Amino acid sequence: MNKITLTACPECDLLLNPTQTVVGDKAHCPRCGYLLQRPSKQSIERTFALSIAGLILMFPANLMPLIGIKMLGNAKDGTLWSGVLALFEEHMWGVAVLVFLSSILFPLLNIILSLLISAHLYFNKPNRHLAHWMRWLQHIDEWAMLEVYMLGIIVACVKLSSTSELKFGFGLYAFVALLIVTGMLTSSLDKVLFWRQIGRLKP
Amino acid sequence: MKSKKTALAQGFIRCHDCGCLSKRADKNRLCPLCGGQLHPRLPNSFQRTAALLLSAFCLYIPANTFPIMTVTSLGVGEPHTIIGGIIALVNSGMVPIALLVLVASILVPLLKLLGISLLLLNVHYRWQAHAKKWTVMYRIIAFVGRWSMLDIFMISILVSLVDMGGVAQVIAGPAATAFAAVVVLTMFAAKSFDPRLIWDNQR
Ligand SMILES: [Zn+2]
Ligand SMILES: [Zn+2]
Repeated sequence: MNKITLTACPECDLLLNPTQTVVGDKAHCPRCGYLLQRPSKQSIERTFALSIAGLILMFPANLMPLIGIKMLGNAKDGTLWSGVLALFEEHMWGVAVLVFLSSILFPLLNIILSLLISAHLYFNKPNRHLAHWMRWLQHIDEWAMLEVYMLGIIVACVKLSSTSELKFGFGLYAFVALLIVTGMLTSSLDKVLFWRQIGRLKP
Repeated sequence: MKSKKTALAQGFIRCHDCGCLSKRADKNRLCPLCGGQLHPRLPNSFQRTAALLLSAFCLYIPANTFPIMTVTSLGVGEPHTIIGGIIALVNSGMVPIALLVLVASILVPLLKLLGISLLLLNVHYRWQAHAKKWTVMYRIIAFVGRWSMLDIFMISILVSLVDMGGVAQVIAGPAATAFAAVVVLTMFAAKSFDPRLIWDNQR
């Protein structure tokens, strides 16, 4: 089978000659303007390092209290999990599952898959599951919503600030750090390069 | 000129997952690189998007008319709709946050519903003008959808923190489930819409 060297734009299907994009440059589709590739410096190494950092931060961000409130003598702490559990207790199963998936499970899977893929590419280890992992990663990506959750925390704090005393827990700092790391992870993972490397490692 | 430039018109199929091109005549319908199903365009894109959009339209009504949460303080319960919550924020002088919630939970879902409807009309009636602008609109719709989860996350935080029995309690209302469903359905609708259909119609 002879290899096809051409590529196509995913949003307008324009047939394109593959161009070598250098770091710091962006390749746009000439017809619809779609961002085809934005290579990042040492994409594989960075993704590997950032996903390890993210995995470590996942523990304090999930287990330690994000915010605590004090209202009329009662104090209460909230973690990422307590929001899900409180919704479960109120029998809002659909919403509870959605919050669990988008704030806990998918961000975690996102980091684990990035770690698995980048580790295999970094050590040049072929694995027959590489392409599957990469496909899952692309589908999950959109449903991990840590940055939206952060905005939710801010709005909730503003709402509570008039009636109660707020205190920020260590978990919140870990959560913000996790947010920054996953943001950097997304921008350092060059999908075009990753797929090319996966194709190269394929037995 | 009947858009000769598309990859499909020249006998290539682009894999949805890994982006590599295959010959259209290939007997096996699996992508040689990632093993995904090969389809020239997203299967039944128009019908799927229309069905998801219609369900989202139906659920948009209960999402806005039923209470999204009930705030109980000192034994007196007060149900809030989405708009009621925004008005409460304005009354307590938090206009910037009120605007943020207005954009995330009213304007974004509404503009998404209308925008995807217009995209479907565009494909159905084969509108010729401004294909690039339509593609940009699709891109904005696909990007902005997740931010509507703001309200859901905020409620999950409030429900877990403000839980002090008769003194103060926040309980999620039925609109929360409907609203969450609207967000998920519109995200799936945007995902199942294939923007290449716009370009296929260009003469
Ligand atoms: Zn294009
Ligand atoms: Zn493929």
